[in-house]
Amino acid sequence: MDALVLVFVSGLVAMFIAMLKKPVLVLTAAGIGLTGSILLLYRQLMGHESLLKWSYEGLNFDQPAILFSILVLIFGLLVVIGGYQHFSRETEHTGEYISLLLFSMVGAMCMLSFTDLFMFFIGLEILSIPIYVMVGTNKNDIKSTEASIKYFFTGAFATGILLFGIALLFGATGTFKLDIMHDAIVRGAAQGPLLHVGILFVLASFLFKIGGAPFHFWGPDVYAGSPNIVTGFMATVVKTAGLFAFFKMFAFVFHGAYQFWSDILFAVIILTMLVGNLSALNQIKFKRLLAYSSIANAGYALLVLLTASPSSLDNLWIYLAGYGLAVIALITVSVILNDEEDNISSFKGIGRKNPWIGFALVIGLLSLAGVPPLFGFFGKYVVFFSAFQLYPILVIIAVINSGIGIYYYLKLLMLAMSEGDENSDIPTLKPTNLQILSLAICTIGLLTGGLIQLIP
Amino acid sequence: MLIAAFTPRNLAKYVGLIGALATLLAVVLRVMSFNAAEVVSIFDPELTTSLKMTFKMGYDGMGLLMVLLTAFITPIILLSNLNKKESNDRGFNAMVLLMEFGLIGVFTALDGLMFYVFWELTLIPIFLIALWYGSEGKRPVLIKFFIYTFVGSLAMLLSLIALGSVAKDFAYENLIAVELTAKVAYWVMGGFFLAFAIKIPLFPFHTWQPSTYTVSPTPGTMLLSALMLKMALYGMIRWMIPLAPEALPDYKPIIIILGLIGIVYAAIIAIQQQDIKKIIAFSSISHVGLIAAGIVLFDQQSLSAAYVQMVNHSLVAVGLFLAAGILENRMKTRELNQMGGVAVLAPKFGFWFAVICFASVSVPFTSGFIGEFLLLKGLFTEHWLIGLIAGTTLVFGAVYTLRAYQLSMFGAPKIERFHDLEWNEVLVFVLLTFAIVFIGLYPQIITDFVKPSLDRLPFAIQALPSQSA
Repeated sequence: MDALVLVFVSGLVAMFIAMLKKPVLVLTAAGIGLTGSILLLYRQLMGHESLLKWSYEGLNFDQPAILFSILVLIFGLLVVIGGYQHFSRETEHTGEYISLLLFSMVGAMCMLSFTDLFMFFIGLEILSIPIYVMVGTNKNDIKSTEASIKYFFTGAFATGILLFGIALLFGATGTFKLDIMHDAIVRGAAQGPLLHVGILFVLASFLFKIGGAPFHFWGPDVYAGSPNIVTGFMATVVKTAGLFAFFKMFAFVFHGAYQFWSDILFAVIILTMLVGNLSALNQIKFKRLLAYSSIANAGYALLVLLTASPSSLDNLWIYLAGYGLAVIALITVSVILNDEEDNISSFKGIGRKNPWIGFALVIGLLSLAGVPPLFGFFGKYVVFFSAFQLYPILVIIAVINSGIGIYYYLKLLMLAMSEGDENSDIPTLKPTNLQILSLAICTIGLLTGGLIQLIP
Repeated sequence: MLIAAFTPRNLAKYVGLIGALATLLAVVLRVMSFNAAEVVSIFDPELTTSLKMTFKMGYDGMGLLMVLLTAFITPIILLSNLNKKESNDRGFNAMVLLMEFGLIGVFTALDGLMFYVFWELTLIPIFLIALWYGSEGKRPVLIKFFIYTFVGSLAMLLSLIALGSVAKDFAYENLIAVELTAKVAYWVMGGFFLAFAIKIPLFPFHTWQPSTYTVSPTPGTMLLSALMLKMALYGMIRWMIPLAPEALPDYKPIIIILGLIGIVYAAIIAIQQQDIKKIIAFSSISHVGLIAAGIVLFDQQSLSAAYVQMVNHSLVAVGLFLAAGILENRMKTRELNQMGGVAVLAPKFGFWFAVICFASVSVPFTSGFIGEFLLLKGLFTEHWLIGLIAGTTLVFGAVYTLRAYQLSMFGAPKIERFHDLEWNEVLVFVLLTFAIVFIGLYPQIITDFVKPSLDRLPFAIQALPSQSA
């Protein structure tokens, strides 16, 4: 709870400091807020009480919520650091951008700790609305505006369906509280068309949020239209929060109706993986490629939902941490390159021109591709391993899909490592540049993450 | 610590060489203090993580022999390329040492996941070496190579997951202890088989190999053929068969037949080829087909013969590819019909190339003779027809190797000058020849080395009613 408040307060502070038109101060406020929250949460994880005694029954920071909050905050911090250069280009708006990101993170944390559907809905909205704005912050770019409007309309639609679903669930079970709802479903009292249609609606809106097929169509357009760093935010923070809430709702609350939704999810997973990977094969735009790759990755992560067990949340955490760090590394590199056209050919020769950026890029790509001993491999491995007992077929399909995925990651890697054109100007990084910090954290995380037992 | 010596932190070619030599020294010291009957554990943190990974590492005779081979071949590869432009590159030396690190990891892993991790780790440096220093048209070839081998590895990962979900953890002895039903064993072995068959490569999984060998720079090709391929053969002996022995009777005929097809088919193609690197590549397929067929016989004699032959093949492959590299480098072509008369211009080179060629066609007193002879004997015992077909490898081998030698070295000179061997190249040839002849005269040094560890393999499967091929 204290961490949540701190993030919110630092968001407010960042917004008001921005009037001084000193981007550095905004960054400092945000950095202190985020780091402080991470530390507070870590303290709580170690068994200390929250600093703030008052609590609200709709939010409960239990251990998984804390772990995932830490993850979200780390992603947020990396995005803020890596994107600072981008945000501070227009000094009068820096505060707004960064505080919007912070508010969005508040929403994400609500989505991680909700105990009733009401709070969940509010969290989702707090998460989404700042992002609708952020997507459109390249105001002179028509694509960005288009992406913003597209995301807003489809998102609003998904929210409507979600509300409808929640209403039906309320009708079926007579409560918003997750645990009471869980009991009602387990007892079988609530089983019936009302509940099933409600679950379907909630499922659809969740799939929309995390970009699962067949509700993934907004993904590539919105990812491609938004500023690079916002794409990174969506692909990591939003996805993490969305998948965790997804897990909580389905693996816990709706577990009594497992028979009903497991088959649907089974089909959705196969579809998501295939659509993501196959569409990514021929992309020439970097962010579109990333969008499809993130769709495919959502498919792998959904495997965890299907096979809920006590260790599932740990597995999901490991998977998302590996995925998120790799995505942020890639996005940061693309921010450094700053190619308007966003063609993947802009990566050409970067490994030769600037070996350190190249190194971070290679590590990120290989981790996404699932090459050991990088973090991404262990993420994939734990997910596949735990799913294997129940659904060997699904794991085989997932493994085949990772085989397909290799191709497009490798294509990018080849471009980065090949000889570049002599006249292309790849920006050199100054040691003071904050993006280095972001890249370094990601790379170290990816290199060591798999080998360290992160979860106590 | 054995592993610590291999971290790539070198700056120039001599540092790379020194690093590799230091490794060799460390390994030789290990060999000196090694008693063939024991299993030495080098790393066992006694910890089981939530991933069921135990980080166990160690070696017995089988593993240590391969480690020794790796440690011997790597400095030779570096040495033989000392005056190429890439050897001054930091990246190149770092990658070769990273490769060595991965290989040694593969040969010492006693944990299924560790094995997989190191196995994949070797793919990255070889891929980068080929990408950085490869010749024209490398991109599609390398993508094919990477995807081919990676998909194979993923199949192996599936098999490991299937085993691991039943076993207590991934430690070798626990994986061995798993009893599988015939159907599961069939699929588990299938996964391993796919990974290894692609890497070996067995017919019909070999299509990545000739083109990759051709576009890779000479040291890359040497690493691929001399060491990386041995990983797969070692993997068959150490992992594939012991882990799923129940399925061996099913796979034995398949692998033997594929091996035989490989022997004959690759040899026939090699005879037709004009590109000298392709000839060696196909001859490599032909030779390893024989080794793979020998391994699945899975008895004491064939396995030790397979070991002799693995060592021999590494030595010969390095020699042949060095020769091919020298020819390519100095004549600016790989086409045989544009070569000729080199023996007159460069007598030293002519002599040493001939020695390696003789080793390749298994002349008595070279290591190839013993290995092939014992393998063929095993195959004859299995069925006379198999032995007969496999025996053609000797004939074909002589044909394509000597043809390549004759066309490139004799005849009318096509060029005026051919720079004869440098000191480092002579040194490499001398070392290789020494090793080849030594093993040829005294093969027991290898068979005795691996015998105790081979004894520990589950030969019990032979009690099963064996299906004749």
